[in-house]
Amino acid sequence: MIAIIARHECASLLRSAQTWVVAAILALLFAYLFLQQLESFLSVQDQLALQDYPVGLSGYLSVRYLQPLALAFTFVAPLFAMRSFSDEFRQHTYALWQSSPVSSTSLVLGKFAGLSAVIILLMAIAVGMLLIMRLFVPIDLSVVLCAALGLLLCSSAATACGLYFSSLTQHNLIAIIASLALLVLLWLIGGANFGELPIQAIAQLSIANHLSGFFQGYLQSDDVAYFLLFTGMFLGLCIVRLDSLRQNGY
Amino acid sequence: MSTAATTPPKNSSVPDVATTDSDRSLQANGLHRVLGNDIAVSDVSLSLSRGDVLGLLGLNGAGKSTTLKMLCGMLVPDKGTVIVNGYSMNEQPLKARAQIGFLPDQPPLYNDMRVSEYLTLCGQIRGLTGSTLASQLLSTIERCSLGEVRQKLIATLSKGYRQRVGIAQAIIHQPEVVLLDEPSNGLDPQQLEGMRELIRRYAEDHAVVFSTHLLAEAQACCNRVAIIHEGKLTVDTPVAGADLDTLFHGAIA
Repeated sequence: MIAIIARHECASLLRSAQTWVVAAILALLFAYLFLQQLESFLSVQDQLALQDYPVGLSGYLSVRYLQPLALAFTFVAPLFAMRSFSDEFRQHTYALWQSSPVSSTSLVLGKFAGLSAVIILLMAIAVGMLLIMRLFVPIDLSVVLCAALGLLLCSSAATACGLYFSSLTQHNLIAIIASLALLVLLWLIGGANFGELPIQAIAQLSIANHLSGFFQGYLQSDDVAYFLLFTGMFLGLCIVRLDSLRQNGY
Repeated sequence: MSTAATTPPKNSSVPDVATTDSDRSLQANGLHRVLGNDIAVSDVSLSLSRGDVLGLLGLNGAGKSTTLKMLCGMLVPDKGTVIVNGYSMNEQPLKARAQIGFLPDQPPLYNDMRVSEYLTLCGQIRGLTGSTLASQLLSTIERCSLGEVRQKLIATLSKGYRQRVGIAQAIIHQPEVVLLDEPSNGLDPQQLEGMRELIRRYAEDHAVVFSTHLLAEAQACCNRVAIIHEGKLTVDTPVAGADLDTLFHGAIA
């Protein structure tokens, strides 16, 4: 059932012109950033080679090219997710799911999987540009894959967040504004200095702090757990929300 | 028969009339629901067997749609039980919903899909696969006279066709019980007669409930009518020999 719903969600996104416009703009952004950072690497590679811990092309592009893309995917994922439930409510198609033998869990996981499939396609373009360099120079695959995992976990968390806010309203705009407000806040608190305040533990919730390790080639269990818990929490909230619609009347 | 419409459990743990009476397709007992500060439905009980076509009559806001939503599992009643083909909506909601086809007052259609794609999706989420899905798709398209629009985008269809696609999604999995909320909305007289014929044929070996406020429509294709007024079921009687006009006006007086 989850696969059927995922396929429907993915096809629905791919039928939308908005998806292709966003994909085209993102591909241009990826290409621009990639070429810019590649050129930057070529100009400083001699100096990098003299460092105590020399940084290669993979490490350099992972930090300078893939890490900024995490921010882009954090904003793009809720853009796709905002329509998932709010459109169903507005167009009265949600009744189809509510009256069918489909559990709220299957519906949420199916939609999440469908959205993730589209985002992974976009991510493949971004990471593919770096991997294609393997044809010309050696690339440290472990560094690139670690960075790709960071991108995937970060965008999954943003997708789950967008999906939850989409289930709260029939207005796309409210869903996207609420999702982005929360995600921006979670990015910003990483840079804030709470040293003098008793709320410094809040910085532990920062997306940016948990993400940086992935792009430096460190795979840390607490960072992975943070994103998995973040994603799981919002998917869980979304399931609770859909169940409450059956109780409260949709 | 669809894979979704499975055999009811022989030893259901839910003690209810439906589990002891195999003829009952749908059994609703004492449904009660408050929406906001208003009692939308109060103590509504219904019982349907195969071959029954029940017309749910009532004024706007009488509680017809709320009752149908509780019968199809979209809305949980505050009190009361719904048993569909032996499955309790509270205890086994997925199995119970697999026995039901529902057309809401606004058909749940995806405008960016083609008719055949949409009906395929509807069949799949009700558990149809492979050749069963293909044959049900063909027969449903034929039954609902959708052959000439099957490859068209739903967004381009007229209101009458949209309503027919809505009915098609409700019956594609051959559910034991079909619930239709104001199915005649937007249909011209010819389409209306086609829909009545469709309901009559479907009800030969299934149960159908549809809500309407047109007495003539109830008279034309129902063998029973139930009248709801201010959330309460005031009349539940066979159509044969009944003067619906008098009954209706007496019930809402």
